[in-house]
Amino acid sequence: MEKLYIVCIEDQREVLNSIVEDLSFFEEALVIEECESASEAEDIIDDIDAKGDFLAVVISDHVMPGKNGVEFLTELHDDPRFKRSKKILLTGLATHADTIKAINQAAIDRYIEKPWQTEMLVQYVKELLTAFVLQQGIPYKPLLKYLDKLTLFALLKQTG
Amino acid sequence: MIPLKINRRELSQIFIYLICFGLPLLCMILPAGFFPIENLTVIEQRIIAIFFLAAFCWILEPIPIHATSILIIFLELILVSDTSLEWVRSTEGTALSYRDIMGAFASPIIMLFLGGFFLAKAATKFRLDTNLARILLRPFGTQPRWVMLGLMFITAFFSMFMSNTATTAMMLSILVPILAVLPEGDKGRTGLALSIPLAANIGGIGTPIGTPPNAIALKYLTGADSISFGEWMSFGVPLALVLLLISWLLLMVVFPFQSDRIELNIKGRFLKNRKAWTVYATFLLTIILWLTDFLHGINAYAVAILPVAVFLATDIINKEDMKKLSWDILWLVSGGIALGYGLDQSGLAEHLVTSIPFEGMSIYTVIGGSALLAMVMANFMSNTATANLLLPIIAALAVALPGISQIGGSTTIVLAVALSASLGMALPISTPPNALAHATGEIQTAQMAKMGILVGIIGIGLIFLTLWIIA
Repeated sequence: MEKLYIVCIEDQREVLNSIVEDLSFFEEALVIEECESASEAEDIIDDIDAKGDFLAVVISDHVMPGKNGVEFLTELHDDPRFKRSKKILLTGLATHADTIKAINQAAIDRYIEKPWQTEMLVQYVKELLTAFVLQQGIPYKPLLKYLDKLTLFALLKQTG
Repeated sequence: MIPLKINRRELSQIFIYLICFGLPLLCMILPAGFFPIENLTVIEQRIIAIFFLAAFCWILEPIPIHATSILIIFLELILVSDTSLEWVRSTEGTALSYRDIMGAFASPIIMLFLGGFFLAKAATKFRLDTNLARILLRPFGTQPRWVMLGLMFITAFFSMFMSNTATTAMMLSILVPILAVLPEGDKGRTGLALSIPLAANIGGIGTPIGTPPNAIALKYLTGADSISFGEWMSFGVPLALVLLLISWLLLMVVFPFQSDRIELNIKGRFLKNRKAWTVYATFLLTIILWLTDFLHGINAYAVAILPVAVFLATDIINKEDMKKLSWDILWLVSGGIALGYGLDQSGLAEHLVTSIPFEGMSIYTVIGGSALLAMVMANFMSNTATANLLLPIIAALAVALPGISQIGGSTTIVLAVALSASLGMALPISTPPNALAHATGEIQTAQMAKMGILVGIIGIGLIFLTLWIIA
């Protein structure tokens, strides 16, 4: 069985820990990867792809040493291997120009401002995971517990 | 050295594979004398093995159920057809025609369903379903119990022509926002969430294209026993309606509403461009033609090609839409048809039936037992796979049952089993509509089981009442 991944990128260890803790709801069914930099994330997503597994959702901070979040997400967007992977930008420090870039060039799916609320983060990941699973044609039944119902019904309505 | 570590989950997987593929293999290589059937030919023995493989694979699902269907067709081709593997080809018994086995993919039953799929796809694409739901729900007002009846009525109506899964998904997407505003702890929430899959499963009984088991039943009702689309609806729709009303009453007793108002909010207007009008007209025309075959002489299978032809010619269903049809359902049914064909053509079905001592068996026990078996099986596996497995055997059995002519011939028993296969709805895994409704988080499995079993048993009673009336 191919695995589904959520990759989190955040240079501050304690913030990264709290993101991962918030996502523990998904732990049973998905693999959650923690990265402290964009380059570490690049290694991990290459691995995921090489194993034939799926990168479902990426959650990235913006301001980091080395490659910043928007640059990383833009490259991800342009990479055909991860065309369907969903992207969340989680930041408190993005400028107006960064935000425009994030939408136009990285085509991010959600923008979350720090500090964030756990329920909101979980809800967004659920929605994006649902869309990813159905668009990718992964059997949704074993994952029902982790999917957003309204997104699921709306997408299933069209495909049966 | 890699240490050999097998956890329990893997162990049970291995066990499932052994049952699904090992037992049928054993069944094929055992000496014929091992079976309690006299003069068993090699071909017949292989069909038995294929049947066991199908049964185990459809129940335990080590591979997807449509893959099992294709496996049946493949195994029939290489083991028992007139183009089978030369080294294992047997002169004993009648080889099956490879053309007929492959013909399962284009059986009239498949065409009927393809027509249904095109209608449903076009209706969804041009939002006929949502808009109809909006209009039809209006007269039911805002009283929760009437809104629930309206939702159930519309769900049942749609699932007569669309897949039960697509109908459930559509209705739940209307319902979920309403559930969210009902107060926490209002039992009516559970009732509402349960009402949709119940109605979708029940509605499927209404027409031959409502759910695959119905179409499979048609396959076994040929010659004097054949039923037209209209004839099916003449008993299917009343049966579905009565069962729907009973379910509604039950839901209101078990899950009474505390709120006194429900506001539905469905946005949109009927599309009014040329393509949309073509969809509405074709939908109507197809149904009219299905119901009036006695006037024009075109049978339901041929009528089913009409929406396919019109929607493709007008580009209402384009290439991309076509790729998204539920081909897996069609192939699942094909495998069942091929399995039935193998049982019948090899002579095994007849052979088996003549070796069963029917004397002393009550016809009612046989019919009641097989309907109950169908319902129980359908609770744990796909309704379609249940019909695929049971109907060919039941159809062969029906011919040999003494006294069957007095109760309506083989039609009665075939219909009893096919309709009962739609009543397997006690568990979240029973049908896709159940799984989706359970996913709303409003229903506990025990609550679903209670309603499912109750409605299932009442349903079987009603089926027998209906069959007794029409016999």
